[in-house]
Amino acid sequence: MLQAYLYIAKMKLLTNLTYRFEWLTSIFTNLILMLASVFIWQAAYRGGGGAGEALSVDDMVTYSILSSTLGALFVCNVQDTIYVKMREGQIATDLYRPLPLLGGYLADDIGGMLSSILNNAIPLFLFAALFFGFPGPADPLSLALFIPSCLLSYGILWLLSALVGMVAFWVMELGNMGMVKDVILRVLSGAFVPIWFFPGPVQTVSAFLPFQYTYQTPLGIYIGRVGTYEALGDMAVQAVWIALLALLLAAVWRRAKTKTLIQGG
Amino acid sequence: MIATLRHYLSVASCFARLAVQRQLEYPLFLVSWLLMIPTSYFTGIWMLRVIVERFQPLGGWDFPELTFLYGLGLISHGILVVFFINTWSIDRKVINGEFDRLLLRPMNVFFQLVASYVNFIGLIDCIPGIVIFAYGCYLTGFEWTAAAIAKLILVLLGGVLIRAALFIALGSIAFWTKRNGAVVGFAVITLERTTMYPLSLYPYALQSLLTFLIPIGFISFYPAAEFLGLDDGGLELPLSFALWTPAVGIVSFFLAHGLFRLGMRKYESAGS
Repeated sequence: MLQAYLYIAKMKLLTNLTYRFEWLTSIFTNLILMLASVFIWQAAYRGGGGAGEALSVDDMVTYSILSSTLGALFVCNVQDTIYVKMREGQIATDLYRPLPLLGGYLADDIGGMLSSILNNAIPLFLFAALFFGFPGPADPLSLALFIPSCLLSYGILWLLSALVGMVAFWVMELGNMGMVKDVILRVLSGAFVPIWFFPGPVQTVSAFLPFQYTYQTPLGIYIGRVGTYEALGDMAVQAVWIALLALLLAAVWRRAKTKTLIQGG
Repeated sequence: MIATLRHYLSVASCFARLAVQRQLEYPLFLVSWLLMIPTSYFTGIWMLRVIVERFQPLGGWDFPELTFLYGLGLISHGILVVFFINTWSIDRKVINGEFDRLLLRPMNVFFQLVASYVNFIGLIDCIPGIVIFAYGCYLTGFEWTAAAIAKLILVLLGGVLIRAALFIALGSIAFWTKRNGAVVGFAVITLERTTMYPLSLYPYALQSLLTFLIPIGFISFYPAAEFLGLDDGGLELPLSFALWTPAVGIVSFFLAHGLFRLGMRKYESAGS
């Protein structure tokens, strides 16, 4: 069973490495996004701006670089996969396979993520180190907490993506709702502007939503904005969200299976 | 001459009608775009507001001016997406041999490529563009005199031509390389970060590159800086950008068109 998943992940890794031209362009796209946010933060702090802030400009540069790197790393294609396969009717062949459908898609995304480490995240991080100096963690303990927190983040992101993808089982005509989720995520995850900088009411509402626990939580740990205990607390919240979303996904999936409509023939 | 022009116009309007009808065939399909695109741009400008309110104006650009620039850049993006969307998929047309069909018709191939698809959905990009720009005008106290409106139209026209030239040139590379789909995504993102955010945020090397080599700065940044009387990073040209932008637009459009024609000679149709 595990071998089957490993095979899917390996095949994804190999396909991604084949398209070299796409690979270069995607590095440059991520680089532009990273440069733009770093330069915006530098302008915001220039000449004594943000003097009263707890975070320095270097903290925000590190935050932006790591955020872009994570953005390149967290591959969650499941929403698009489900949408496209439903539209084209290919979901039928995937359901034949002696593997749970979602498990297969997760393996596919993990393969995508592994290849991203090599061909996206590392080059991007090196570029950033070259331009702006090495964006190191606040201290070794921050790094030690950052890594598990990132894994939890990926869990939340993937489950959200799969849940939104499930919408296609009911209403295919509305187009890909994953795009809408991605826009909301881009703002409320704190990937560009951390939620700490938003007005108070936004922060309060956001604390009860899963989004800020995807980017802001691990990044805040990395730059040392939160202490060890607070970091552990945040990670506990991440785990709770994973449990909730997983339960929800299981319930939705049970219903979706009976709703499956195979297009074409 | 006039007869030819009229013929081309009638074909273009016929194409446009067909394209719009085709897209309205499945109206619900637009729902996700209709939710996604405005949310994306409204939250984009909101995040800039959060930054300048908490910190300081970005290189002299405060929220009203940023809104003005963001809106101006977005409108010209929206117009491009309506009229020139086919330039985004030249590589696919090269690989699939779709130019065969256009070559068989007794009409200019480039005209057919551009005119054959009026992207009605692109209007969804124009809506937040107009709303944000109008709000920016209100906040900055932009005066709607006849001269200002004429300047604005010239700038938009020139900006759309520069954008179109860029995508035509990038697309034409596909005649040689056969694939460059990902480059379009790269160009879209780069344009968004350089026409809707002040160019003066970036280092001098990048500013010069985006002014003299790839004239992206002319699309919205320099004109907006002139309209608002703000620091544009030190580029000084005689006369108004309302003249420079269309001039640069026309020149780059012709250059890109030349590259496209050169590429067409390399076109070898698709196998089997």
